[in-house]
Amino acid sequence: MAGSHSDPLAHPEVRQGSAMRYIAGFVSTVVLMGAALIVTMRHDLPYQSFVELVGGLAALALFSQATLFYGLDISRAQIWKGVSLILTLPLFIITVGLTVWMFQSLNQRTMVMPTSAAAASQPTLLQ
Amino acid sequence: MQLQVPGPWSPLLGRLTLNAIPYENPILQVTFAVVALIGLVIVGLVLYHKKVGYLWREWLTTVDHKKIGVMYIIIGLVMLFRGFADGLLIRTQQVLANGPHAAGMLGAKHGFLPPFHFDQVYSAHGTIMILFAATPILTGFQNIVVPLQIGARDMAFPYMNAVSLWLTTAAAVLVMISLFVGDFSQAGWVGLIPLTELPYSPGVGVDYWMWAIQISSVGTTLNAINMIVTIVDMRAPGMSWFRMPVFSWTTLSTNIIGLTAFPVLGVALALLGADRYLGTHFFTAGMGGNLMLYTNLFWIWGHPEVYFLILPTFGVISEVIPAFSEKPIFGYVTMVAATFAIAGISWLVWLHHFFTMGAGPDINGFFSVATMLVGIPTGVKVFNWMFTLYRGRITYSVPMLWAMFGLFLLLVGGLTGMMLAIPAINYTVHDSVFVIAHFHCMVLMVVCAGFAGVTYWFPKLFGFKLDEGWGKAFFWTFAIGTVTVFSAMFALGFEGETRRLDWTFNTAWKPMLVVEEVGMVLYVISLVFFATMLVVSIRNRHKQRLAADPWGTSRTLEWLTPTPVPFYNYAVTPQVNTRDELAWRRKYGLENTKPDVYEDIHMPRNSGLPVILGALAGVWGFAMIWRIWWLAAISLVGIVLVVIIRSFDKNAGYHLQPAEVEAMERDLAIGAIMAEQSDRAHHHTHAEAH
Repeated sequence: MAGSHSDPLAHPEVRQGSAMRYIAGFVSTVVLMGAALIVTMRHDLPYQSFVELVGGLAALALFSQATLFYGLDISRAQIWKGVSLILTLPLFIITVGLTVWMFQSLNQRTMVMPTSAAAASQPTLLQ
Repeated sequence: MQLQVPGPWSPLLGRLTLNAIPYENPILQVTFAVVALIGLVIVGLVLYHKKVGYLWREWLTTVDHKKIGVMYIIIGLVMLFRGFADGLLIRTQQVLANGPHAAGMLGAKHGFLPPFHFDQVYSAHGTIMILFAATPILTGFQNIVVPLQIGARDMAFPYMNAVSLWLTTAAAVLVMISLFVGDFSQAGWVGLIPLTELPYSPGVGVDYWMWAIQISSVGTTLNAINMIVTIVDMRAPGMSWFRMPVFSWTTLSTNIIGLTAFPVLGVALALLGADRYLGTHFFTAGMGGNLMLYTNLFWIWGHPEVYFLILPTFGVISEVIPAFSEKPIFGYVTMVAATFAIAGISWLVWLHHFFTMGAGPDINGFFSVATMLVGIPTGVKVFNWMFTLYRGRITYSVPMLWAMFGLFLLLVGGLTGMMLAIPAINYTVHDSVFVIAHFHCMVLMVVCAGFAGVTYWFPKLFGFKLDEGWGKAFFWTFAIGTVTVFSAMFALGFEGETRRLDWTFNTAWKPMLVVEEVGMVLYVISLVFFATMLVVSIRNRHKQRLAADPWGTSRTLEWLTPTPVPFYNYAVTPQVNTRDELAWRRKYGLENTKPDVYEDIHMPRNSGLPVILGALAGVWGFAMIWRIWWLAAISLVGIVLVVIIRSFDKNAGYHLQPAEVEAMERDLAIGAIMAEQSDRAHHHTHAEAH
């Protein structure tokens, strides 16, 4: 991480960036996230396909940001960036994983949706 | 796209009308008069002493980590006072509004605060104390101490450091403005959902809360990046990882938490903002929204945030106890390991904040066990501090008293936390004031460490100690006040008093409510002693001349610098030889060695852009709150322009020449020699007296 202390623009990691890369990063991110928004607002995909598609678009947006904005690669010069990203992964898995587990259990216990046949055979509060 | 909001809206002023100013509220009238008077006195003093230029050059535009740290702490203390005033209002309302026959005044049926006002007071109290008092105070310490402790010239990004400060300031100002223009949130500091949604909170209160937190959390995140890079990249030669002082370790761990957790809060609030401003349904009960998603996201940030506050507190205590026990910290490596264990586990426990939601025994069991695991590394720390004290040469100076009381609160708060980690107990006391008493023990531990840190590092920065006598008076009244208030609150929790009550309906609670109020009176007295301590110390500052280590028993690198610390910190970057560098040098008589050759020092230049950026962020927040779209657009464009201007500014800084450095060091050394002579004379007299 050696570099000029007095001129930030002379820093090797700063010099790695370029206008084209930033523009490409910005455009690709906006397009990918815009696509996810449109897919969400149209409500015309089955649930499973919808989750897969939005998840895929999110992964692509993450990848384009990591490479185009962040300039991430596996070289030694980028070791701190790589380590930071890898250290974030367990947190991501913990928070998302535990949240999914929690909501699944919560929904089973509190959001019981009786099937139409079962609902018809059971009295409701209004009957 | 603008969501229809109730009440008037105009293109020029958005939702802002003259009705937003609470003329009719006598409490706010008096508050406004007092605030305006204090403001006028401060401005008058600055003008009278012709200090406007000094204030701009030396403070507002500074990028010096020490001055930025001091400003963080000043903001934190001001907000601590405001948060305390809110606490006093809450306690007084609850004791006055007790039972069905309690008298009412000032528009309240019981007590003096109507529910609409009371709800804002407790929401502001929590938000302020956690995000605008404790966080800035601890960030201030980290700013001041860490670069000195690791032998650095400044933070890695001095300009960004100033930006972080002014963003935090802008957010704090928004919270203060909400007192006099509009309302603050009535949905608690956590933003109880769906109460924060537009149909249930149609005013601007939630918007004040939401945007203030958003802006300050950007500042906190930037600061976290800065701290991590500083510690990773700017340690002096020889300062290997396991020679780093414990406070720097805790700062590293806490800022890793900050960097990873605050974005979650940002996302949660952004989604809430989308609901309130764009009409989405992320957190509504219908339309595919999910209420619990907000609560889940909030506490994914919220619990790591607890450790974000506690870990640097542990760091301060780990510096103070060895210094006043005249021993190295016991179990240094386990201390560091415990710090990171706590930081890691902090990500696994958030659901204990909503055990009663109904996620089921498996989920509750998992989070219960994970929560109890925190007790293991915390226990390691407590035992390490105890073994450090054991057979130490203990001096009960003011910082040590605060640290010891902090340990006491940690035990009470920690053990009641273990009780709350058990879902069965949690169901029983959920939402009762028992929980409030528990977490106040923890946050008051943060306050104790804050005052320990203030009194401990104050002489290093300002060149004089705070008055010991008034400091002890402040400590004892504060400590007894704390025990009085929160012992009664634990009892009231067991008696079934729930939190956030504007009317305490059960007359059986009266005796304990009165005890709590007595404790609050002690707090007020302690504040008088605190102010007196400051005044007396500043008045008598010329009577003291302090050496590099004013306490004589400090151990870490920051005490190697002259007192007060010069703006360039170290004349020559120190070579670190061991852990507890100063103690090692003192042992071998090397603490006063001077370099043979001075080199030029590269320093960053001050910049007015961060304070302008902060001001623009504040205006942008205000415009978003009141939906004044043109003002929001202009301030946003202004922010972008400032960032562009900054990117073209090479800001090459300036160089101090070796001769200049040598001359300044000589002047500082003369002061230090005189200080040492005065110390020796004092010790001599002391010895003779015995």
